Amino acid sequence: MTASKTLRAPFRSDLNPLREFLPNLIPILESQPGWYGSLYYERKSVKNHMANLKQTNLSDSLSEGIVLRIYDGYTLFEQASDELDSRALERLATSFAERVAKTVPPEGATRRVYAPPSWTERLKATLDPEIRDQIPAGASARTPVHFGIRYLEGPHALGDAEVFARLKVLMDRVKARAVHAGLTEADLTFLMTRQYFGEEEAIFIDRESNLSQTLYRTALLLMAMSGPHRVYERPGGLGGLEIAHYPDEEIDRMLSELASLRNAERLEPGKYRVLLGPVITGILAHEAFGHAQEADTCVRGRSKAWELQKSGELVGNEHATILNNPAIFQNADQPYAAWGSYFFDEEGWLAGEQVLLEKGRLREPMTNLTSAIRLEIPRTANGKRESWSHGVYTRQTNTYFSAGTETLDQLMKKIDHGFLATAAAGGMEDPKGMGIQVGIAYLQEVKAGKLTGRVFRGPAGGDVQLTGYVPDVLNSIVAKSKIDFTDPGADRSKHPVNDAGGCGKYHKEYVVAGCGGPYLLLDQATLG
Amino acid sequence: MSTNAGWNLDQLKSLLSARSGVRAWVLSQEHTLRRERYFLMDREAFALDQDRETRSEALQLRLMVNLPGKPDRQGEIVKKLTRKLPLGPQLESAYQAALQTDHQAWDLPKTITQELPVLKTADPRVAEDMERVVSDLTDRIRKSVLKKRKTQFNSSELFVSMHNRELHLSNGLTNRSSQSRVYVEAAYSMSRTLPNGKTESDEYLSTQWTVSLDDLPVEKLFDETSDRAEHSLDVRKPLSGRYPVIVDAEVAATILGTALSQFSGVNLYQGLPAMKPGESLIPEAKGDLLTMTLDPELDFGADTAGISDQGVAQKALKVVDKNQVQATLVDAQYAQYLKQSPTTVRGNLVVEPGTMSFDEMKKSAPQVLEILQFSSIFPDPNSGTFSSEIRLARLHDNVRGTVEYIKGGSLSGSLAENLQSARFSKNRVKRSQFGSDFGPSGGAGYFGPDYLLLSDVSVVG
Repeated sequence: MTASKTLRAPFRSDLNPLREFLPNLIPILESQPGWYGSLYYERKSVKNHMANLKQTNLSDSLSEGIVLRIYDGYTLFEQASDELDSRALERLATSFAERVAKTVPPEGATRRVYAPPSWTERLKATLDPEIRDQIPAGASARTPVHFGIRYLEGPHALGDAEVFARLKVLMDRVKARAVHAGLTEADLTFLMTRQYFGEEEAIFIDRESNLSQTLYRTALLLMAMSGPHRVYERPGGLGGLEIAHYPDEEIDRMLSELASLRNAERLEPGKYRVLLGPVITGILAHEAFGHAQEADTCVRGRSKAWELQKSGELVGNEHATILNNPAIFQNADQPYAAWGSYFFDEEGWLAGEQVLLEKGRLREPMTNLTSAIRLEIPRTANGKRESWSHGVYTRQTNTYFSAGTETLDQLMKKIDHGFLATAAAGGMEDPKGMGIQVGIAYLQEVKAGKLTGRVFRGPAGGDVQLTGYVPDVLNSIVAKSKIDFTDPGADRSKHPVNDAGGCGKYHKEYVVAGCGGPYLLLDQATLG
Repeated sequence: MSTNAGWNLDQLKSLLSARSGVRAWVLSQEHTLRRERYFLMDREAFALDQDRETRSEALQLRLMVNLPGKPDRQGEIVKKLTRKLPLGPQLESAYQAALQTDHQAWDLPKTITQELPVLKTADPRVAEDMERVVSDLTDRIRKSVLKKRKTQFNSSELFVSMHNRELHLSNGLTNRSSQSRVYVEAAYSMSRTLPNGKTESDEYLSTQWTVSLDDLPVEKLFDETSDRAEHSLDVRKPLSGRYPVIVDAEVAATILGTALSQFSGVNLYQGLPAMKPGESLIPEAKGDLLTMTLDPELDFGADTAGISDQGVAQKALKVVDKNQVQATLVDAQYAQYLKQSPTTVRGNLVVEPGTMSFDEMKKSAPQVLEILQFSSIFPDPNSGTFSSEIRLARLHDNVRGTVEYIKGGSLSGSLAENLQSARFSKNRVKRSQFGSDFGPSGGAGYFGPDYLLLSDVSVVG
């Protein structure tokens, strides 16, 4: 694609007056020596079109607010509000600064003053061309720098009626193709399609930068049920309507798995060779040394990874390389960006790739502002929050294993008896205890390198759980697939596919997260 | 510059009432004030890592419109409105969008509920002086943290919020309600140096939501968390097999709450798995027979509410009586679709107690596995199954007279099979849970047995 034809999400002009006013608040937020003031504005509009067998639904939401921030060297104070009138904001900033000034520093705590980077310092980092190309030459503290996500099909091009028409066509295609999977239309007791479109706008300002970004987030959910059995897929990413397409072969695969689930057997708990599909591989990476490599968890003394990184102990074999990368602007071979991507995080740090675990050896963790300051390690673009009304934590973006060298066929041939796992059912971290839980909705049996057609659910008929001690699991990796796993040639894609997922910090604070990677073959995996 | 476009709720209601083609509407407005603090240790000092305050307003319109030429159908949209934009264009876009949707027609109740009971939904201390509550709770947390223990304090979080809500319906009903929410979490770890010089460590995290401060024993939460962290290193994996398993009230609330969706009229109408009145919840049940009530009047419950969002008065409703399903839960909309009267749809899950004490449960079989914490239990409302990794458990061996701590492996169960011979404890406790959704239905309340004894549960080590 040539630069002249590139379509990017613009900065909406109605926000110009606010953006021009906001820098006036920084001197108030830095009214005491050693204070670091910043502010983050967010506007998220989301439209969900849903069609099922009985009705069509539409929800349309808009959330808008601002977070005023003062870091006084001890504590990060935040004042969040959806009142955006200039006089009200000035009053709020003033009363907020007064409140912070009155706060007594924690007795015995260390003061760590912070100075934000200038553009000269920012540009020394290795930046993805999608980021670097949007920064004007000679950018200074007052230069408004806007980043817009690239798209092909304008997300606003279709009206509500056209979106519903497309969803109904998709449902009709599913019904028509049921017969290919040995199902009748009546077997499909529940069918739902949903198109999600979100426009996410953000402004970050501190004494050195004035940043904005506009992201288009699009996803298309297809869910089919037969009685209690359920299959679903949700392709999604950052871009326009080019994301909201569903090929026939995917529908056939889904319906075939639904048909098999109707005759699912129960798994005998035990240890098995299992080939994990990209989404489940992503969950494994995310729960293993994703959460454990969140620096705020390390600061709190809640992650074993901090000690293991310092000691240099091996926690996995040569296949165990895990990355986090919010700068995936091409998701595998798709023309759109990965779900967990952005240009800068909610504390104004520019996105970049980071290796968290390299061939079994831990590297430095992901950070947000305060955890980087407390641990005295470099900042990364991982300061995220559920919304402007929630607190900021160190969070993952797109987390995945690095690619291997084998094709999917070659990996399948390494299984005499075992399973293929492609349908995810959640996961849970245990950063201090190094346990892991990866949920698998069902397993497809593999014998002599081929799918047998038999499908297994958990011992009680529900989800299967893959569990274990993280280093043991990461030492049990036998092989990994290429990114372009059906093609025996060299990978053309730069990053593995990342699916549209979500993430909680322990049991709350839900954010979007990309989840993917190559296929991963594990030996002696505990499944129950 | 974004600013208030200068319209108010009365103008919004007038415009809605005057708009031709509008069939009905439901407006909800919620103002939230929320305080948060995150605590940790800065070397030896008890430190405040983050301190935040949030003020927000959410205004949501559910708009029902007539579809031209389709008297039995209607259009609907749920739209969040903002006062920063002019009202007229927001309403017009909502109206036009609603015309593109298609639902079976239904009406809001024609009779307006006049008198609703006065319910305890907000702790007056939080409502009247939130700063003082935050300060007092901070003090209690600090004292708990500074208490000498064998474990290390890692971190704590404190959230306190007030939610003031107004509900306005086009049938004339107006309802105002308030809810307080408090959240405290505590994390402690235990570490020790092994003979080879390496350090091993593990932690225990406890979280608790509540509506009333009286239901939040901060000191007990910290003591119990530290105690469990202390044992977190003396663990082994479970041996694979089938066990009688004791789960606590939080797990009970999760797995029994899962069953509720199958009593919903929404499931029945949409073709999703559903159970009808008269059916047995647990086939061939032979343990304590389950009796559950949906109680919207429980004092300081997470889902205590006088009225549904469709204007139906909410009263206690027995949903399962001695294992027999009693009701299909429907608000006004699905009641009309299914041609039945509306029922209670909001409320806290109240479960009748059993007769066993916790000690009797522990001694009820040669080996009993007591789950102290799951990593994250994932229930499937369609199949009634649940599974999770075991974060920490105790194995009571009544033959050898030992108690061992267990960590790792996973447990798989199903309501239909593992509750067949279930027993419920005689002591009851209250639990609250709030999701990330700040909406009025974001809470799940439970008042029921503090322990459930499940039978023959599959565990893999």
